[in-house]
Amino acid sequence: MPTIEYAATAEEASARLAELGDAEIIAGATWIMRAGLRREALRPTYVALSRIPGIADVTSNGVTTVGALATHSAIARLDAFPVLREAAALSAFPQVRNVATLGGNLKAVDFAAADLVPALLTCDATVSVVSAGTTRQVPVSDYVASRRTGPADEVVTGVTLRPAAGLVSTYERLTVRASGEYAVAAAAVSLVLGEDGTVREARIAAGSVEPEPRLLDAADALVGQRLTGDVIAGVGADAGAALEPRSAVDAPAWYRKAVFPTLVERALRRLVPAEGARA
Amino acid sequence: MTTLTINGRAVETTADDLTPLVVLLRDELRLTGTKLGCGEGRCGACTVLVDGTPTMSCLTPIGAIAGRDVRSVEGLADPDGPLTPVQEAMVACGAVQCGACTPGVVMTLTALVADGGEPSEDAIRRALTGNICRCTGYHKIIDAALVALAGEGV
Repeated sequence: MPTIEYAATAEEASARLAELGDAEIIAGATWIMRAGLRREALRPTYVALSRIPGIADVTSNGVTTVGALATHSAIARLDAFPVLREAAALSAFPQVRNVATLGGNLKAVDFAAADLVPALLTCDATVSVVSAGTTRQVPVSDYVASRRTGPADEVVTGVTLRPAAGLVSTYERLTVRASGEYAVAAAAVSLVLGEDGTVREARIAAGSVEPEPRLLDAADALVGQRLTGDVIAGVGADAGAALEPRSAVDAPAWYRKAVFPTLVERALRRLVPAEGARA
Repeated sequence: MTTLTINGRAVETTADDLTPLVVLLRDELRLTGTKLGCGEGRCGACTVLVDGTPTMSCLTPIGAIAGRDVRSVEGLADPDGPLTPVQEAMVACGAVQCGACTPGVVMTLTALVADGGEPSEDAIRRALTGNICRCTGYHKIIDAALVALAGEGV
């Protein structure tokens, strides 16, 4: 039967993964404990990070750092990066948010409906990864793209988020029930707005529509524009058109694709600067 | 071997590390107040407090919470002792019907009261989103929560 052992440091956890071979990190365990429901085999050994000092901390001091074992409930109390805060707060149910972690969300590679991952993509977060005795800082988009094929001893220890003047963001998700559940589709949006309301930078990510959350090129069309109704509708339509959706028991592929433009539009409308206000 | 504190008592078990906490509680310790509902973290019937925090015990492997403090519904009131304010309010407001969700609801509300949650219907509904009840339509549970949070007794 599978066993759980505790690592005192992230380096030790990484070394144990390398030694054990068929092993994985365990955090809140909400994904691993449902392996049987997904007809997946368990690993013989899991390495717990919960005794590593500071691994669950969330700190804001210019930059914001979120430890790998920070729970969704803790992330939902962030005072910056609304897209990440809202993604955490809207995810699953309270008793799951209380234990499910940032690191688990990044590591659950087959979890198409992960909420934190698209939010992190639009925040241009940096992931701290320990492997082979060294710590690397990896852009989250690179981490997500390589996480299936990365070395087996990779241990995510947290993410770093850097604020920018004029940064606004939000998260929009559609569920079958009003609360909880996996999103049928989710749109994460982060923009940097100039003082006149012109978009300087734009990132839009799709969650739960395709097998992997990803950034969409359609956001580029926002740059240099103001968030008028026409601009918003155009970007929403382009964002939806670029998707190759997945079917699952909760929703067919066509439906996820059909609703996605509306989610993008709702998110963008929420980010339109108030009349007369400076962004 | 895993050691846990359960309802104030040190418990040692040789159960496998990935044994769900709800299975340890019910099958080994015969604490059957905690109910196994969906087994996938969506219904809240198995809610217990781990270090005071509401947690789905069906998704909690005992080996991952070694040394921590677990409180189940049996840990609230002694068999012959007075009920807690949350339990008292649930009874008085008629919030208990079939009883399958009740222990989970009580644990969620116990944490809400302990955290000094605001006595608003909105906050209570948000706290209870992970506890499914198919009998009451929630109204009487929310009435009970309002009474318990107001701290005025019944």
